[in-house]
Amino acid sequence: MKQSIKMALSSILSNKMRSFLTVLGVIIGVVAVVVLSSLGEGAMDSVTGQIEDLGANLMQVTVKTDRYTGIDLDNLASLADGETISAVSPVLSQSVTAKSTLDTYDCTLEGVGASYFYIRQLEVEQGVTVGELDNDLRLPVCVIGVKVADRLFGTRDVVGQSVSVRGYDLRIVGVLEEQGSSMIISDDEKIIIPFTLAQRMFGSTSITSFYASGASEDVMDQAEQRLRRFVSARVSDPDDDFSLTSQSAVLDMMDEVTATLTTLITGIAGIALLVGGIGIMNIMLVSVTERTREIGIRKAIGAPRSAILMQFLVEAIVLSVAGALIGLAVSTALLMALRGPMGIPTLAVSPGSATLALTFAVCIGVLFGIYPANKASKLNPIEALRHE
Amino acid sequence: MIELEDIQKRYVLGGETVTALDHVNLTVGDHEYVSIIGPSGSGKSTLMNIIGCLDAADGGVYRLDGVDIARYSQRQLAAIRGRKIGFVFQQFNLLQKLTAYENVELPLIYQGVSEKERRVRVGEALSRVGLGQRMHHRPNQLSGGQQQRVAVARAVVTRPSIILADEPTGNLDSKTTVEIMDMLEELHAQGNAIVLITHNPEIAARAPRCVHIRDGRLSEVEPGGSRAVEGGGA
Repeated sequence: MKQSIKMALSSILSNKMRSFLTVLGVIIGVVAVVVLSSLGEGAMDSVTGQIEDLGANLMQVTVKTDRYTGIDLDNLASLADGETISAVSPVLSQSVTAKSTLDTYDCTLEGVGASYFYIRQLEVEQGVTVGELDNDLRLPVCVIGVKVADRLFGTRDVVGQSVSVRGYDLRIVGVLEEQGSSMIISDDEKIIIPFTLAQRMFGSTSITSFYASGASEDVMDQAEQRLRRFVSARVSDPDDDFSLTSQSAVLDMMDEVTATLTTLITGIAGIALLVGGIGIMNIMLVSVTERTREIGIRKAIGAPRSAILMQFLVEAIVLSVAGALIGLAVSTALLMALRGPMGIPTLAVSPGSATLALTFAVCIGVLFGIYPANKASKLNPIEALRHE
Repeated sequence: MIELEDIQKRYVLGGETVTALDHVNLTVGDHEYVSIIGPSGSGKSTLMNIIGCLDAADGGVYRLDGVDIARYSQRQLAAIRGRKIGFVFQQFNLLQKLTAYENVELPLIYQGVSEKERRVRVGEALSRVGLGQRMHHRPNQLSGGQQQRVAVARAVVTRPSIILADEPTGNLDSKTTVEIMDMLEELHAQGNAIVLITHNPEIAARAPRCVHIRDGRLSEVEPGGSRAVEGGGA
């Protein structure tokens, strides 16, 4: 065995360029598979993390109809029973242009209840959040995201300053902690004001969207039922007029997407490595023909069929495994280089895809090596010796 | 000890059946040195392939050291080629990528000889052919005569029952031819059995016993030069 590997290596190294071109197919296949699946996994992890960061046991209800919904602040408040639903907060979002003395900025204005920050697990970096009293008194105050602060004031030290939105002068009472880039919602680009103020600003009387948080993970099903009953009783078509999104439902969906992606990547992997394998088989067949005389000599001096078979098989396996290892190294480098641009600092070769690639490579080496090796081992020594 | 009894071999060539060996009988003793001479197409290559266990006869019995080789499997025949027969070819047939040392070592690797013993035996064999100093050269760094010496070393390193030399001097000039022939005679003197196949009467005449082959039939050539009875030597 040791001798077989030694022989295989010397034969591969004696024809470096050809060996490299041969394994290139495997290298590209492995890189494609490993990088794609690692990117996919990294992105999924990142998105999943962001969904989890949205808040524990978060649920969101959006009423699709424009008609009066029958949901108001009073009955909404009664939804939080403490056993299944711990808190609720109405939401009213609009795109607006905000002005400071220095600049203007297009961003999202969101009117929220006092529980909003608890439900969404948002913290302020400076100042305070929008509270109960602000809502009760409809005070013109706001909490802004860091990006809004940066753009309007050029600094994040803005508590006490004012922004002007739709003719309202809003006093900044707090600045949200930076959320970082997010693929879903960026709270960094929001201006958050009391819900009651937003209602007045946009002339809306009913509530069409609200967040609720389940009391615990164990009661999410009950909490969801309670929400459904509550909203169904207040819209004209309970089947169609509203949507309820829970964090667990989104995560379930993500799992499905991941599964589909994995299947897809496995398919690509199969095709890519198949192509690589055919390349190896092709060159092994050429090699057998070129070395017919060598095979004849080896047989004449006593090499059994098994030794010839082993020699060529090992050569094919060494080629494909070398390709896989080079592919893994290239993938590692590539993924490290992609960390910054993709905004996923944990991006790395996933152990699953590395194992898959290596296993595949060995299988391909055996599968596509066995035919040429068998052909070599079956050569008639007399004819092989006569071969020029 | 080689015993060929009534060996026949036929080929089908372009729809025509060619008789390459026609009821051949030949015995070569344990320490004998026999030359087989014949023109091309006489069947001497076929004979060599059969003696060398590279090919099987269509009829007759071939006993090598007392055992009928028809009883051996392909795998066992490979082992017999490795252990009992040492080939020396006209084209040397060394592996170009391997050094002289590695070429001589190869049959021992196939026999599963330990590395330690391989080193001793390869060193010995290369010294016997006078190439102890050049063992790490590749064939293309050696002259024709030197390459054939490596091939001879490869043939004797397994301590075979018989050395089978097929036109060993066919690609060599007259000076190196003499060297190689001297070396073969020396090996014979040391107790090796040798079968030498050639078309050159001068070379053939150097052997103590000479067999003539023509149209697949053997005839013994007496030391005096006259021909013996057809099918002799059994």
